[in-house]
Amino acid sequence: MALLEVNDLRKSFATGEKALNGIDLRVEKREIVALLGLSGSGKSTLLRCINRLVDPDSGQVVLDSIDITSLGKHELRKARVQMGMIFQEFNLVNRLTVIENVLSGTLGVVSLWRTITRAFKKQDIHRAIELCSRVGIAEHITKRADQLSGGQRQRVGIARALMQNPKLLLVDEPTSSLDPKIGAEVMELVCEIAEERQIPVLFSVHDIGVARTYSQRIIGLQQGEKIFDEKTSALDAKSIEHIYGFAPDGPSAAGAH
Amino acid sequence: MTYSTANLYKTYMSSARAARLVKFGAGLALFVFGFWTVSFLDIPMDRLFGFFGRLGPMLVNRIFPPDLVYATDWKILMSIVETIEMSLLGAFYGTVITIPLAWWAAWNITPNRTLLYPFARAVIVICRSFPALILGFLLVAIFVFGPFAGVLALTIGTIGFAGKLMAEQAESIDMGPVEAVRATGAGPLKVFIFGIWPQVKPAWWGIIIYNWDARLRASTILGFVGAGGIGLHLRLQISQLEYHAAMGIITLVVVLVIISEAISHFLRERLR
Amino acid sequence: MSAANPISIENPLRRSADLFRRYTIYTVVVAIILAMSVHLLVLGTDWARMGSPSEIAETAISLLPNLNFIPKIMSPLLDTALMAFWGTLLAVAMSIPVSYLAAATTTPSMIFTFPIGRGLIVLSRSTHEIIFALIFVACLGLGPLPGIIALACRSVGFMSKTTAEAMENADRGPIEAIVATGAGQTARFLFGVVPQVFPIFLGNAIFAFDANVRRAAILGMVGAGGIGLHFSEQMKSYNYGNAGACVLAVVILVIVGEIISNRIRTKLISG
Repeated sequence: MALLEVNDLRKSFATGEKALNGIDLRVEKREIVALLGLSGSGKSTLLRCINRLVDPDSGQVVLDSIDITSLGKHELRKARVQMGMIFQEFNLVNRLTVIENVLSGTLGVVSLWRTITRAFKKQDIHRAIELCSRVGIAEHITKRADQLSGGQRQRVGIARALMQNPKLLLVDEPTSSLDPKIGAEVMELVCEIAEERQIPVLFSVHDIGVARTYSQRIIGLQQGEKIFDEKTSALDAKSIEHIYGFAPDGPSAAGAH
Repeated sequence: MTYSTANLYKTYMSSARAARLVKFGAGLALFVFGFWTVSFLDIPMDRLFGFFGRLGPMLVNRIFPPDLVYATDWKILMSIVETIEMSLLGAFYGTVITIPLAWWAAWNITPNRTLLYPFARAVIVICRSFPALILGFLLVAIFVFGPFAGVLALTIGTIGFAGKLMAEQAESIDMGPVEAVRATGAGPLKVFIFGIWPQVKPAWWGIIIYNWDARLRASTILGFVGAGGIGLHLRLQISQLEYHAAMGIITLVVVLVIISEAISHFLRERLR
Repeated sequence: MSAANPISIENPLRRSADLFRRYTIYTVVVAIILAMSVHLLVLGTDWARMGSPSEIAETAISLLPNLNFIPKIMSPLLDTALMAFWGTLLAVAMSIPVSYLAAATTTPSMIFTFPIGRGLIVLSRSTHEIIFALIFVACLGLGPLPGIIALACRSVGFMSKTTAEAMENADRGPIEAIVATGAGQTARFLFGVVPQVFPIFLGNAIFAFDANVRRAAILGMVGAGGIGLHFSEQMKSYNYGNAGACVLAVVILVIVGEIISNRIRTKLISG
């Protein structure tokens, strides 16, 4: 029984653009899966449909036997707690400190009073500090988020997602706003932690090299349709050309954004 | 340097505690200040509780419906025209004076930093510090009852209002083109015309239009102290306890201001 | 230097047509201004009653502040400052629900609550504080209380408009992230929207305070508290020196208020 099942997911936008045209996919309990495709292929939309930041037009998303697509508002919030999301643009609250940003990962479960007064539970604060140490930003926890570098901010984003104790990590182009070296460090970190805590990861990416290096399985998207779904080792030149629509020049090519 | 989680926890908790204390202290201080204000200003808190109870009947009986027949009388409409004219004249004359003044009051482009700059700055600050109604009252006493004082008051208001905004705007321009013109050996006036004016023109036009809008609002009430415009009729009707007529005038004024703001908004959007 | 217009060498005819149009507009504008000036300042002004230049100068000089009067107006001056402060604070409090209604992203109903919010803002910004003061004095009697409420009603429009715009223009990213953690509407607002909007909100509150100091100074003229009453009383009884003292006090208060506002605002930007 896969942890995440997506069945015939469809989404069109008001402009008529068909973002997702019937996507099926599965993520097993301890997998790291890459969603590979060019910009506009539907990667971001797909990820956002999974936790319903964007509501799909039709189709089904099932997380650990719960049908996400049929949940009401209240239940959806509870389900979202189980899916930690990491964003391309980090999406931190710039005026808050690092530790406050990490603690905001608990907003799905803390009481209204704690939300208003920002008085988080002692255990949560301890856990947040531990996570900050784990991702390597311990010395910055009282700094404002906008005083950090890109790589550091993404680490904060990772810590925030992990605060939820999620069953699944949804990662939207984590390295696209970072230098390749920093991006690689961030990807390493995500994969390490995923291994440690046995959390599956579904990450979207447009760079083949990143997809190959860090994933066990690759799902290729093109214009809203799934055209590849195999183990990473099965990704050969022919399939790359199929996904991108043209022949790349080398192992990590076609990173053009 | 190693950061033990225990130390980090202590750091965070102490800073969070301090922040909370400051917020609580500020809230408490505000509360106490409020009580002190109520006693110092002798505020009748009991009247406050009956406020909405009295406001409702008053609005319904004494003020509404507004007497629009009175408000569309020829005399009143001419007064509105006078109000608009006052605002245009005040804005025009004020702008003519303010353009050089704002240039001199901008630190980066002023032709003379030791004398002209402080002078221009001082003029703008002083013109800004007089509320329009007080200015109107003074000018009516000095000169004569009527729109003359009003236009003068609006001109001074423009200098203070637009002067500050225009000077601030000028201080944020790119000095490159200015220095390029200076380098040709051109005198300060030419530097202004060719280096400064092209850069500030769009923003300054926006300020000029915004200023006119503000002047119009002021001109609707200047008549209250006899400085011209519809305010005089408003005061007259109130002193005669003709509240429906007064409300008619107020309705007219509100409509006028809404229209002028729409015009001003439209023009400023077109500027982009 | 893209602002300067390049001379179009290709079509000299077009250039003169352009210039012609420009000068026509200038002439028309000047003509209109001239006409209005004559209407208001020549015909509409009773030059006979104005007196000679020496009489005018005499009146102006008599307005020079009588410094002996200053101690008597320190208390009303303080009243004015307090009115401005509390009027602004009340406006800040009132603007929270109003901007919630007037922001397209937070308003519960675009058909009902949004127009109500925007309508309140328009009314607040179009009605002079004197008019609000007149109404509230009729309800609450004389004193600073109607003045404070009048100032609040006048400022709430500006505060709400700018806050609503800030909320609508807030960066969607952090808000999305907060929602993705499973947070509810309150947390989404408090952690996603408020931190982004707060600096703008505070800056505008200070700006509104600055404006309210000037407004509070005149509300006394209709009985709504502050130094305005003393000013108009002295003027009406031709004690121009005393009136001048009131004006001096107002000017100093306004300038001090501006200095304080600027200090706090610069601290906010750097902090």
